[in-house]
Amino acid sequence: MTGSEAAPTRIDTSRPHPARVYDWWLGGKDNYPVDEELARRILAVDATALRGARANRRFMHRATRTTAEAGIRQFLDIGTGIPTEPNLHQVAQGVAPDAKVVYADNDPIVLRHAEALLHGSAEGSTEYVHADVRDPDTILRLAGETLDFTQPVALSLVALTHYLGDATDGDDVYGLIKRYVDVLAPGSYLVMSQVTPDLNPEAIAKAAEHFRRSGTPFYPRSLAEFSRFFDGLELLGPGVISVYGWRPDPVDVAAQAEGIVPLYGGVARKA
Amino acid sequence: MSERRPAPTVGQVVLGRRLQELREAAGIKREEAAQVLRVAPATVRRMEMAEVALKVPYVQVLLTTYGVPEEETAAFVALTEEANQPGWWQRFHDVLPEWFSLYVSLEGAAGLIRSYEPHFVPGLLQTEAYARAVMDAGTIGQTGPETIERHVSLRMARQGLLERDNPPHLWVIMDETVLRRPVSIHGEVMREQLDKLLEFGERDRVTLQVAEFENGPHPGTYAPFSLFRFTEPELPDMVFTEYLTGALYLDSRTEVSAHLEVLDHMTAHAASAQRTKKILRDYRETF
Repeated sequence: MTGSEAAPTRIDTSRPHPARVYDWWLGGKDNYPVDEELARRILAVDATALRGARANRRFMHRATRTTAEAGIRQFLDIGTGIPTEPNLHQVAQGVAPDAKVVYADNDPIVLRHAEALLHGSAEGSTEYVHADVRDPDTILRLAGETLDFTQPVALSLVALTHYLGDATDGDDVYGLIKRYVDVLAPGSYLVMSQVTPDLNPEAIAKAAEHFRRSGTPFYPRSLAEFSRFFDGLELLGPGVISVYGWRPDPVDVAAQAEGIVPLYGGVARKA
Repeated sequence: MSERRPAPTVGQVVLGRRLQELREAAGIKREEAAQVLRVAPATVRRMEMAEVALKVPYVQVLLTTYGVPEEETAAFVALTEEANQPGWWQRFHDVLPEWFSLYVSLEGAAGLIRSYEPHFVPGLLQTEAYARAVMDAGTIGQTGPETIERHVSLRMARQGLLERDNPPHLWVIMDETVLRRPVSIHGEVMREQLDKLLEFGERDRVTLQVAEFENGPHPGTYAPFSLFRFTEPELPDMVFTEYLTGALYLDSRTEVSAHLEVLDHMTAHAASAQRTKKILRDYRETF
């Protein structure tokens, strides 16, 4: 069992948590008043927040389905968040019931929700790893109890990297992603999405300020900056694009009429 | 006794609250709504609080007054008629206090039930012998053996919930006390009970966690309580908490959220579902 038995830690729920803020935007009920307050405040300065959260969720569904249909049977999802149906394992196991899925999150509450509510198919397996994205050694070691890294894996970090800074901010997000990609076998996929300031810079700057003030550093990235995550990998068509434009289903095409969504998404294959 | 109106069902509570929301959205005062119906303002309040059953003709007049579109009015009326149907548990009205009827109704309507149990195995997971032992010990004074048997039957009937096609997800955090305090001097009562917990713990829709002594105090060290979540996005969560002579239903955002937060802290504090299985097996050996 990969679910770690960490010693009880002090959990601070007096501040908003990005996963619960996102849950509020998605219409979920697993958030507290502090989260709702921040979610509303950001929505007031950036009207794209609601549809952005929904469009991002649907991007995850399509990217997961695409990689599963390409033959991937192992999935590692980092920064899982509060369960929202359909979840990644449901999409993956919907295509391939024997798919193995490992969810990783650094928040013990989020992780216990995943553990309680996300049950995979009987043929496949669904496991949970309590570790931080900034600690690749731990995530890869614990995920390795379920996944075989000599075989292809779809690694997803969906709407996560905008909470991680560059080398100068202490996180070295590019170095971090490279460490994960380096251990992936040929034929693996990298699925990513994150917030960009390119489309509505003032609104995103205000939203970022709200996140920062509530204790969550926030790093929107330009098209060029986001594209760097895929350096050395083969991007699948149509490349890096606003999430609702990535191989859209009819529902996504219809949603485009609601207006812009300031999140980029991309899926790339390791040769 | 049969004169008494049955306790409100979830449907009635929810519709009452919706009626109030629609009135407030229309900017109409209770007194004004009462004038339209030619009743006392208190009657409107009692309708909104689900203290009286909603009457369809009244509902229709009110919704028209509030400017509610025709389709929503039709849907509301259909729901009112449905909510006024008695639940299966009404046949236990002799032993079912009114406050508990609502609980049973909530249980049946919820998609997710999260409970904290400091003293006993939760009712939905008790064996018959365990339930009987708990009731024997817990009832003071006038209760005869027949009444206890009726209570046991009711509890067993409630368990049909977990056998339905689409059962609610039951997520329970039990204090370790539950395992340390046998309800009967007969070891087999506890052994059987632990077997049942282990069996249900294997189900996808049941999550059991034990809050272990060795992890120290946790933020839920008050009374037992349950949080009910409905699959309908517009319905808020409800919290139910019991005290010696009754129970409280909480549905304000602030109070529900405080309980949600405590449950979340406890779930992180308690043993994982996986580890809980081992704890249950180990305790089973001690009885």
